[in-house]
Amino acid sequence: MAQHTMLAMILAGGRGSRLLDLTNKVAKPAVSYGGKYRIIDFPLSNCANSGIDVVGVLTQYESVLLGSYVAQGRRWGLDSKDSGVYVLPPREKADEALDVYRGTADAISQNIDFVDNYDPEYLLILSGDHIYKMNYEKMLDYHKKNDADATIAVISVPLKEASRFGIMNTDKNGRITDFEEKPEKPKSTLASMGIYIFNWKQLRKMLVADMKNAESAHDFGKDIIPTMLKDKGRLFAYEFKGYWKDVGTIDSLWEANMDLLEKNSELNLNDPTWVIYSEDRSVLPQYIGPNAKIDVAYITQGCRIEGRVKKSVIFTGAQVGAGARVEDSVLMPGVIVEEGAVVKRALVADGVRIGKDAVVGSGGSGPITLIAKNVKGV
Amino acid sequence: MAKAFGIIAPPPGHIQIMGLQEHRPIGAFSFLGRFRMIDFQLSNYSNSDIDRIAVFVRTNPRSLTEHLNNGSHYNINSKRGKLQILFSDRHKENDIYNTNIEGYFDNIDILERIHQSYVVIAPPHMVYTQDYRELMEEHISSGADITVLYHHVGDARENYAGCNVIEIDKNKRVLSIERNSGTAKERNIHMETYVMKKETFLDLIYRARKISAMYSFRMIVNEMCSELDVRAVAHRGYFAAVTDLKSYFDANLDLLRIEQAEDLFRDDWPIYTKTTDFCPSKYFEGASVSNSLVSNGCVIEGTVENSVIGRGCYIGKGARVKNCVVSAYTEIGEYVNVENQVIDKWVKISHANRITAKREQPGYIRRADRL
Repeated sequence: MAQHTMLAMILAGGRGSRLLDLTNKVAKPAVSYGGKYRIIDFPLSNCANSGIDVVGVLTQYESVLLGSYVAQGRRWGLDSKDSGVYVLPPREKADEALDVYRGTADAISQNIDFVDNYDPEYLLILSGDHIYKMNYEKMLDYHKKNDADATIAVISVPLKEASRFGIMNTDKNGRITDFEEKPEKPKSTLASMGIYIFNWKQLRKMLVADMKNAESAHDFGKDIIPTMLKDKGRLFAYEFKGYWKDVGTIDSLWEANMDLLEKNSELNLNDPTWVIYSEDRSVLPQYIGPNAKIDVAYITQGCRIEGRVKKSVIFTGAQVGAGARVEDSVLMPGVIVEEGAVVKRALVADGVRIGKDAVVGSGGSGPITLIAKNVKGV
Repeated sequence: MAKAFGIIAPPPGHIQIMGLQEHRPIGAFSFLGRFRMIDFQLSNYSNSDIDRIAVFVRTNPRSLTEHLNNGSHYNINSKRGKLQILFSDRHKENDIYNTNIEGYFDNIDILERIHQSYVVIAPPHMVYTQDYRELMEEHISSGADITVLYHHVGDARENYAGCNVIEIDKNKRVLSIERNSGTAKERNIHMETYVMKKETFLDLIYRARKISAMYSFRMIVNEMCSELDVRAVAHRGYFAAVTDLKSYFDANLDLLRIEQAEDLFRDDWPIYTKTTDFCPSKYFEGASVSNSLVSNGCVIEGTVENSVIGRGCYIGKGARVKNCVVSAYTEIGEYVNVENQVIDKWVKISHANRITAKREQPGYIRRADRL
């Protein structure tokens, strides 16, 4: 792809408050996932693999860690000449009051000057907190083929869950006829993934108008897309087939990690043609001790396992002491489970220490326990 | 603090490691799964604030140059610092000419242009951590012309055959540096690590060439012991010299004693390497792993005991890997039984094979072989 044909803007300002203590100090896109990744590695790697070389990351909530993380564009190969990852928090401008990003569309509106610098033909809008592998270049081809004003990526969801999503109703050519936010009686099962391609010149005009509209919530789903539909715009749904997760809650984050334990996991992270890039830490390979027992597990470098691990995902630098048992659990980076401790059906937050012989988590099939504070030994 | 220039010396001509070395220079040997031998020396430099470094390569430069790249993964500043790769591949007519002195002489114009006052020379085939700032300080305060590092061992009779030993007096003055004859248990192993002024280094190169075209750097230092003030400094901590397949095998498996490994991998002394962005490793039902170091990107369904597994390996159902050093991208098929082997990269062993050797004499399985 010619450089800067399409620019990507990743919306990464959300807190993800249903992730409770996990997002006390970091924004949701910076939450760890899958042993060695942060969630935002997925859209960033997808961009890099799709030949997009300039990515703006719109940050707002607790943006320090997220900002410093994504600014190292070389992790994703986004560091060649004229390429880069740019962190864009709200900023003070001449002749304007400093304002936070009031909505997803406003975040782009406030950075029109940034996009204009590159003068792209198309603008790709992404969410920073979804886990999936997608080739945006194919979506752009589809957008061009349809001569579309906007293309929205959709995924088919089970009918009974459809009322949780923004649902697109389409004609037989894939043209969107109607958009319903969380409909009670969904007419289709095509849910919006929050991934949009717009023609920049056209979107720019709409954003300028939207900024002046006092009634607007400045949101793509609530304002921009409905307005385009009302104006009889050519909006197309691009159906994505594959693994896609919006991990909004502790349970769904736990589940998304457990998905990796499947033998033929739909999300294949071992695919040399579509690598998900991440930070690399200077640590030893994973060390499995003489008396360790590992049943089914996903374990990364820097871990030290001396106890028993069953159906669990163990993140960078986590340790499981001798005689300890970790089952159906997720241990985030740097977690230490001391000797004899038991962790069951739990998600243990970064750096937490579970003391000697302590027992945490929940058996059975209830909700997953989040352990976000050190637990004293017994 | 005076600035030093780091030099990773050409691999000594007398060290030939069966199999592995046919495909890559010794510095590019895989070590502990995710590292390469040279990572330890380059991390030593980087952690010691030495950011101008030359690495000498004699043969098969591909894998080493690919791995080193511009050195940014070693935390070497991409503007102020510089990692150079210097070649010397001209002396094929007779191996006797393949000395490190020849390697230096082939690049003498570059060495002449070094503007740091000191050089710190380190070997590509030894693994240890050392703060060169401390060594420099000791060198400068002692007033010595040359300072060399040594490691005291108690098993020089059976091991360290390819190494040299240092004789020192009670003031730590070096009396001689000679080949390890294997006649004594207690020896000071020469770590082939030197600190000296740049001028001294250049002078020794010219002197060596005047004496003999076969002279190595160690030989000229040995020769000059009486004329120059050559001092020895003891090294503490983990040390391994890779001089043959057995010592390569042992160095890897020794680090399965986790206290040893933790001595080499300290939080305040990171060992940098190039990332390959492999995903974590997957363990499935049937996996049984004990006392092993496993790199990322592996899929394990069989038994792994007392082994080091490189990146992206597959260990099939019912397979048993015991006391092995397995390099990246290798597949050990179902019900295959391997013991005491060094297995090179891209090897594929299909089911029901049994390949074993004695612990004292490990086997080598060639790169990309199908068995």
